[in-house]
Amino acid sequence: MLGRRETGLGEDAASGASTGGREAAPAHPNRLPTDWWRRNPRYVLYMLREFTAVPIAIWMVWFLVEIGRARGGSAGYRPHQSLAFVIFSVVCLVFAVWHSFTFLRLSGLIVRIPLGERTVPASAIVAGSFGLLIVATVVVGGLLILGGR
Amino acid sequence: MPDKTITLSVTRFDPDLDPEPRQQSYEIPFKDDMVVLDGLNWIKTHLDGSVNYRWSCRMGICGSCGMNVNGTPKLGCSAFLRDYLPGPVVVEPLPNFPVVRDLVIDMSSFMEKLSAVKPWIIREQGAIGTGEFLQTPAQTEQYRQFSMCINCMLCYSACPVIAIEPEFIGPAAIALARRYELDSRDQAGDERLRTITASDGIWDCSFVGECSAVCPKGVDPARAIQQTKFDSTLGVLLPWGGK
Ligand code: SF4
Ligand code: FES
Repeated sequence: MLGRRETGLGEDAASGASTGGREAAPAHPNRLPTDWWRRNPRYVLYMLREFTAVPIAIWMVWFLVEIGRARGGSAGYRPHQSLAFVIFSVVCLVFAVWHSFTFLRLSGLIVRIPLGERTVPASAIVAGSFGLLIVATVVVGGLLILGGR
Repeated sequence: MPDKTITLSVTRFDPDLDPEPRQQSYEIPFKDDMVVLDGLNWIKTHLDGSVNYRWSCRMGICGSCGMNVNGTPKLGCSAFLRDYLPGPVVVEPLPNFPVVRDLVIDMSSFMEKLSAVKPWIIREQGAIGTGEFLQTPAQTEQYRQFSMCINCMLCYSACPVIAIEPEFIGPAAIALARRYELDSRDQAGDERLRTITASDGIWDCSFVGECSAVCPKGVDPARAIQQTKFDSTLGVLLPWGGK
């Protein structure tokens, strides 16, 4: 093992970068490079997850347009049925489920509900969040299917 | 030199001489129990006394020895060379801070952010020092992990938001604000919260989460930020202010 007195600081740094009356030389700005997101798998996964919001947003806009088209009732409404569109919708569904799962999985860390001197356990919050998601899915899905009849 | 050696590629930068930082390689003896800081100390003692870096405790307590090791922010005193065999081990200054010299960064931006969040107990009645302010273990547990921060700056270096928005208050300062927010003895009310929910505060965070992944003390700054986002949103939406 190396001795404690082997200080790594040079004289300048140890003494608060004294410059002996000279104007201090400019420090080098050392920002993360623009390709920071390729540096480790966690960054890559983050970028992928963020990117999946784009197709989901496009699908949501399309969904609003379809609601507009269905204004006249189900009788005159013909939904898109092309294979490309079905594939796009399934991919968007997978992305949306991934978003929901990864977000709700962390809800126990994010949501803090005080309970006297303690807080509601994280596991209960996660279970509650997934429960709410299932209820919301069933209710909204039910409304859409029944309302479309 | 013993049989086994390892190469450290260390960033060198003298602002008076170098237009840009450069890497310099040193071959040092390798022992299984050596950390990166031991390697730097060996270089300083035996090869090149002009290498500059910070350290003090050598046990992950003081937070002085933060540096990028093979591209990841680490404490030099906790990063074992054996984990980087066969080398070379690239040792660079922490990104997102100006480099003063070699591996020494200028942390003054963080110091300003830290004092802005008032990391101390604020009392309205009965100032600290006027008596005992008891706390149960359950109350201590509410903020304990956030109080473990050693101001090592690894989280700031891992944060891409800081790279784009240097004014962002950032992970450690917000985690420390949260530490006092959750302290049953603190009576700051909205005072601290106003600072961290203003522009350059919690809403700049896009939840990359790398701050928590690199923290050597198990602090979870990403959690502190998201919790504060949730609480302050409830504070706006609910009549009782999310309390
Ligand atoms: S939160 Fe962790 S990584 Fe950030 S300064 Fe504190 S101890 Fe270091
Ligand atoms: S020398 Fe103190 S944390 Fe590394």
